[in-house]
Amino acid sequence: MKSFRAFFFRLSGWFRKRNREQEMMDEFESHLQMHIADNIRSGMSAEEARRQALLKFGGMESAKESVRDRSRLRGLETAWQDFRYALRTLRRNPGFAVTAIASLALGIGASIAIFTVADNLLLRPLPYPNSSQLVMVWEANQRGTTNQNEVSPANYFDWKTQNTCFSDIAAFLDYHVIFSTGARAEEIDIQSASANLLPMLGVTPIRGRLFTKAEDEASSNGADVAVISYHLWQSWFGGDESAIGRRVQINSRPWTIIGVLPPGFYFHSRTVDAWLPIGLKPAEDFRKTQGRWIWTAARLKPDISLRQAQTQMDTIARRLEDSYPEFNKGWGVNVEPLRDALVGQVKTPLLVLLGAVTLLLGVACANVANLLLTRFNARRREMAVRGALGAARARLVRQLLTESIALGITGGIAGILLARWAVQALLALAPRELTHSVQVFFDLRIVIFALALSLLTGIIFGLAPALVSARSDLNTALHDETRSSTGMGRRLRGWLVAAEVACAVMLLSGAGLLFHTVMKLQVVDPGLNASNVLTFRVTLPNPRYPRVRNRAQFFVRAAQDLAHLPGVTSASAVSYLPLQGEGAATTVAIEGQPPARPGEELIATIRTVLPEYFRTMGIPLRRGRDFTIADDDPDQPYRFIVSESFVRKYLAGREPLGTRINAEMDDKNPFGEIIGVVGDVKEESLDKDPDPTVYYVHAHLAYGGMIFVLRTENDPLSLAVPARKVIQGIDSQQPVADVFTMQKVVRETFARQQFSATLLAGFSFASLLLAAVGIYGVLAYSVAQRTREIGVRVALGAEPSRILRLVVGNGMRLVLIGSLIGLAAAFALSGLLKSMLFGIGPRDPWTFTIAPLVLICVALIAAYVPARRASRLAPMEALRTE
Amino acid sequence: MNDPQKKTDVWQGTLALMILRTLESMGPLHGYGIARRIEQVSGDRLVLNYGTIYPALLKLEQEGSISSQWGISDNNRKAKYYRLTRAGAKQLRKETQEWEQATEILARFLAPREQSS
Repeated sequence: MKSFRAFFFRLSGWFRKRNREQEMMDEFESHLQMHIADNIRSGMSAEEARRQALLKFGGMESAKESVRDRSRLRGLETAWQDFRYALRTLRRNPGFAVTAIASLALGIGASIAIFTVADNLLLRPLPYPNSSQLVMVWEANQRGTTNQNEVSPANYFDWKTQNTCFSDIAAFLDYHVIFSTGARAEEIDIQSASANLLPMLGVTPIRGRLFTKAEDEASSNGADVAVISYHLWQSWFGGDESAIGRRVQINSRPWTIIGVLPPGFYFHSRTVDAWLPIGLKPAEDFRKTQGRWIWTAARLKPDISLRQAQTQMDTIARRLEDSYPEFNKGWGVNVEPLRDALVGQVKTPLLVLLGAVTLLLGVACANVANLLLTRFNARRREMAVRGALGAARARLVRQLLTESIALGITGGIAGILLARWAVQALLALAPRELTHSVQVFFDLRIVIFALALSLLTGIIFGLAPALVSARSDLNTALHDETRSSTGMGRRLRGWLVAAEVACAVMLLSGAGLLFHTVMKLQVVDPGLNASNVLTFRVTLPNPRYPRVRNRAQFFVRAAQDLAHLPGVTSASAVSYLPLQGEGAATTVAIEGQPPARPGEELIATIRTVLPEYFRTMGIPLRRGRDFTIADDDPDQPYRFIVSESFVRKYLAGREPLGTRINAEMDDKNPFGEIIGVVGDVKEESLDKDPDPTVYYVHAHLAYGGMIFVLRTENDPLSLAVPARKVIQGIDSQQPVADVFTMQKVVRETFARQQFSATLLAGFSFASLLLAAVGIYGVLAYSVAQRTREIGVRVALGAEPSRILRLVVGNGMRLVLIGSLIGLAAAFALSGLLKSMLFGIGPRDPWTFTIAPLVLICVALIAAYVPARRASRLAPMEALRTE
Repeated sequence: MNDPQKKTDVWQGTLALMILRTLESMGPLHGYGIARRIEQVSGDRLVLNYGTIYPALLKLEQEGSISSQWGISDNNRKAKYYRLTRAGAKQLRKETQEWEQATEILARFLAPREQSS
């Protein structure tokens, strides 16, 4: 308490410095006057009285100094002095300051940008209360094809009644609907959900209410109620209170809006604008009528761990396998933390990028440390003089450290500004899956982290140079005419350059591997010709097109009209585009073959198409024929077209044409003849093998939502508007959604690799630049220091080329050591990239040869410039320096 | 040993105690007065550089044991007067006690001859 009080006294003393000083002088003066008066009274002469008083007082200056010392905060004051001094010296050396601050801004800016994204996606809690309790519950196919399969509603209800590990479990599904207020109709993303989903997530509506369990189970019987997002409320209704209770059309049926959720609320997908009851009734026997098509999320009970939940669900799954072998044989359950489910795919790329920015930051720091060391070395004499005048070593270290911290902070602030901008750019560039399900913020937390980071880098890269510089022996430093750097400093600088080179080599290798992957992926044949194909989705609302025939007519007519547009060579439609990750798959049977045992069914991807689909998409027809308009009729017998891999895997040498197959897609699934075989098309991504595929003609599997594909003569997007007009010419209330080119769809599949490759390339370019600056700096400095030595060599007859070799060789030693270390580290770490690579091993010898070679070339150039200068030194001039 | 002319330097740490004690017995006093008083009480056996009293006064003031105020001295001079605060009085009592204890212990070590005889 006492020392606390004294601290405040001192603090106030610091601010009232002038007053204090004056007061002290007054007090001393009055002291002397009283003493003199006393002395005179005891009989001294005026002069003697004054002399005696001063003598008795003791050293006046030292008394003043110790009073001053007591009366202020010395540390704070000198810190401020040091700081101002540091800024002054930095201003005097703009070249040095700009290089150092730019290096730091680059390193810190890039780290912060990547960290912001990683923090949001991987670290920050999801925006739900106790979000760590939230999990996704999947069905898992035990044949290993997928452990994130959609769930059968029947199994969902059984889980619900049998589990004791979840406080709640809810069903949901994302899809698109046509939302219309009469004046305006658009396709929007919605989430149909069981009534307990939103309460389980802990969200409360800001207007109105959520739907109840009764409303959920009565849904599709007329009591249709919807909860809308804040975004929809604002953009469609201008935030009008009367939106609650408003009647709207969803897929041409009347619905009532009953609630609005808070701004920014999302679950699973950020684009969802309305929540509708999913309408599952526990009483129905879903195993008879439906497959696996819902998603389920659950909340763990507070005292239950993920592992316990998984164990219990395994037991339940085994029980269900026994009870319903024909439906559940081979199906288990997978309980996965919600976050993993949301960001699972982007986790590896993000971690790789985090590693990469750390390396970049390392290079930047090493570079700045190097620059600082050079500078401090040049100021060794200044330091020595200060030391000789009595400055303590700690004081010198502190002053040098202040300089580097000033640099760090300035670089940090520049870095934050850079990062703010970079995060935006990053998100614009990022694959959709990266930002689809989690929001990314740039907030105070990040700013604080950035400042801490820059402070830390300031201390770390400043401490070693400061210690080394302040260590130097005063005597030698003062006498040191040649100003050659200390052995310690030179070694440290060498190591720093080697470290930079090592980091740069690691970055280059990583970038090389990923770039190779992207190049390989670009030349993978997806099985179709994606250039000049326009795609867009049209979803017909059931109520207006209740019958198969209505839908079939619409699509046939639309396809014909579209094909007649000028600039379109052919047009067709498909239920799900390949390579988009969506689709249907089911079990198929082949006539004449015994039914498969449970758990060993043949699974095929199912697409429904219009005639001309294969020609439009550029999928080669291998055998037989395409569907015709005549086939596209519900009254025609079922006919199928299959893919090559279907023939290869399931028909095992049988003549495919004429073989009769069926697929479990509908209520009744008659056998039909195979009339054609087409080329394989990659399904989910380019780096996976294609799935066996069965194509239906639309009339026999009449989806209400189809994706039109148009082969065009020129830029496909130029046909977007005419195509929309065609659709609305047939049905004026029919919106068109998701207009893309097929090329974009294909590119999206390797967006992740491309994104990482682009960033890594950027980072490695930056690190290459920094390393080059570092090498140049070290060599230029050592040439300047050895001017006299080089002069002597030249005077003694050394050839310029010899000098050149000497200097370059000096630099190359560092580069080679660094490259070797970098290569070894890259070799050890490249395994982490494995899941992102395609067509190339993580230890691809070419990449690991080229990366160091590129670096060595750059290093040679950086070393050549100072070396040339050295080789051209005129001996007389060189000998006269200093 | 007991030469009255022999002058002693102020021991480290005792100056504060002497200042507090002086202020207690004399009431508010300026720095010069305190210094003179300390010398007088010691029977002029204590040598004090008057300048050293001021850092000590400042320290005590910062710790809250004394407070200061400008005033007019006996012979009409402006002087800064120091006064003992309540906390200072408490501090003095505590330190006096400690000091007495310490000297008593030391005295026991140094004085007795009777045990060995």
